[in-house]
Amino acid sequence: MSVMEYNGGSVIAMVGKDCVAIASDLRLGNQALGITSNFQRVFPVTNRLYIGLPGLGTDVTTLRERFRYRVNMYTIKEERDIQPETFAHLVSSTLYEHRFGPYFIEPVIAGLSKAPSGGFKPFIAATDLIGCLNFAKDFVVAGTASAKLFGVAEGLWEPDLEPEDLFETISQTLLNAVDRDAFSGWGAVVHVITKDQVVTRTLKGRMD
Amino acid sequence: MARRYDSRTTIFSPEVEYAMEAISHAGTVLGVLAKDGVVLAAEKRVTGKLLDLSSAKDGGGYGGSGEKMFLLNSNVIGGVAGITSDANSLVNYARTVAQRHLLQFNEDIPVELLAQRLCDMKQGYTQYGGLRPFGVSLLYAGYDPHYRFQLYHSDPSGNYSGWKATCIGANNGTAQSLLKQEYKDDIGVEEAIGLVLRVMSKTMDSTTLGSEKLEFAVLTYDEVAKEPKAKIYKPADIDALLKAQGLAKDEDTEMKS
Amino acid sequence: METSFALTGKGYVIIAADTTAARSIVKMKVDEDKIKELSSHLLMSYSGEPGDTIQFAEYVERNIRLYQIRNLYPLRPAAAAAWIRRSLAESLRSRHPYSVNLLLGGYDIADHKPNLYWIDYLGTVVELPFAAHGYGSYFALSLLDRYHNPEASLEEGLATLKRCIEEVAKRLIVSPDRFKVKVVDKDGTREVEL
Repeated sequence: MSVMEYNGGSVIAMVGKDCVAIASDLRLGNQALGITSNFQRVFPVTNRLYIGLPGLGTDVTTLRERFRYRVNMYTIKEERDIQPETFAHLVSSTLYEHRFGPYFIEPVIAGLSKAPSGGFKPFIAATDLIGCLNFAKDFVVAGTASAKLFGVAEGLWEPDLEPEDLFETISQTLLNAVDRDAFSGWGAVVHVITKDQVVTRTLKGRMD
Repeated sequence: MARRYDSRTTIFSPEVEYAMEAISHAGTVLGVLAKDGVVLAAEKRVTGKLLDLSSAKDGGGYGGSGEKMFLLNSNVIGGVAGITSDANSLVNYARTVAQRHLLQFNEDIPVELLAQRLCDMKQGYTQYGGLRPFGVSLLYAGYDPHYRFQLYHSDPSGNYSGWKATCIGANNGTAQSLLKQEYKDDIGVEEAIGLVLRVMSKTMDSTTLGSEKLEFAVLTYDEVAKEPKAKIYKPADIDALLKAQGLAKDEDTEMKS
Repeated sequence: METSFALTGKGYVIIAADTTAARSIVKMKVDEDKIKELSSHLLMSYSGEPGDTIQFAEYVERNIRLYQIRNLYPLRPAAAAAWIRRSLAESLRSRHPYSVNLLLGGYDIADHKPNLYWIDYLGTVVELPFAAHGYGSYFALSLLDRYHNPEASLEEGLATLKRCIEEVAKRLIVSPDRFKVKVVDKDGTREVEL
């Protein structure tokens, strides 16, 4: 069995109108055996930027700690928040450093970037496990349910969704996709990022 | 444990003595430990009218002007007195040490451990040949779950000690005797702010206090977020605070003089 | 087969590990203690590749002790878990990784809460109300899903643990016959007889 499926878990991010959303399931297992239904794999980077780290559990923790270190050093020296584009390249280069012995993680990044005009622009991106960036305009998916997520998202997503509608869309997409995946599920967490706030909701899911 | 014994009597190498002497002329930094927080204040030396301060005007990302007060980690504020370039280097080192601790243990570095790590380095520079010591004293205002609020002082020799209230830099003797008279063991953070400002106004050379000469910071505990809250005041906040404390400069007297 | 369980209750963590030391199909020893007392309020059970287990457990034990000697207070359970996890994660990508699975139970004297961490040889760490390693986990986890109570007294907790051990004795082909049980609470660590 593949290392990428050893612990299970999936993440999705979507663009809305002046907002973005990122969501993940909460399962961590040992192959078919469930260990916990409260494993967080989506982490805040700044007040307007989140990263999801689906893949091998140990690398979720390692990369989370590594990115936190790099971002804290960046913030404390620059005295400003890191921008999503900059952070995406930090993620990419960190993963590519391990090109021939990679971290088994396919990160998903979602945030709002500061536009020169002073406003905020939605940003989402994903990379493969060696850091090849994919900037998308609609949605990105990763994890053991990625194939199913693609299918449902393709059907449900539409442009310029307001925050509440985006929340409904991403939640339905995730919950329905993970129900068809044995290694993802057991509840979910959704973050909707707007310029003023981040709304985080924990969702109940099927427990089988 | 804080080194209590050798902070006064030890004779150091001439270089360390020079560093200590230099610090006693530097801008004053004062710290007071309260039961629910720690307060720091520092005197900025005005270098000259032509110095371009536009980048520091509204304070950097963390407040302050980046001269005397630094956020060393989310749970520790540092106040520095001495050679600025040495101080910057130490601050950078402290931040790296704190972040490495976070990486290794997934917790904020305990305050005393951070002071120890800086002192290990400072001590090294007093011992190995061909190097000059760091010409910097620091005050560390911090919080950790082991000992809650703490205030430490470290000097160029690598000595450090924990304090209820202390002062480094110019006129530190005057300030310390004032603190000794006025400090109470159960002092709250609001009282401590008043005490710090009163002592500062008596210690500083100038007759009036203002944000152009003063830096100010408070560390408290945010009961909602369950984490320490470090606030380094921006210039506007300092002026507002001074006004509230009745220590702001009187505009009429300024006009007359 | 090697099995270990742990569960939290009101102000305590119980850790139980079987006491057999085996080489291939042969039982070499039946009174092996596989739960180390890392500090006054921290317990760690270890299982996995013979040799690796003791090497790694002693490496952890000595480093936790060193931290306490240097700083006069021990690492908090969460910090210890993070450090141990990192050691395993770094070992995983080395020439010879340790294959050791751990249960780390501690009582945090700073915030007065019991903590239990499930750690595997990859460096995966999860904080849980109850946990298990080895073949016993397949029987015990579903049983604990039903009977675990985070507010249970120590007596009730030990009774639940007993159910787990009996279930494993009943259903597992090669079941361990003895378990060592240790408890950590506000008063520190101690061994208990079931």
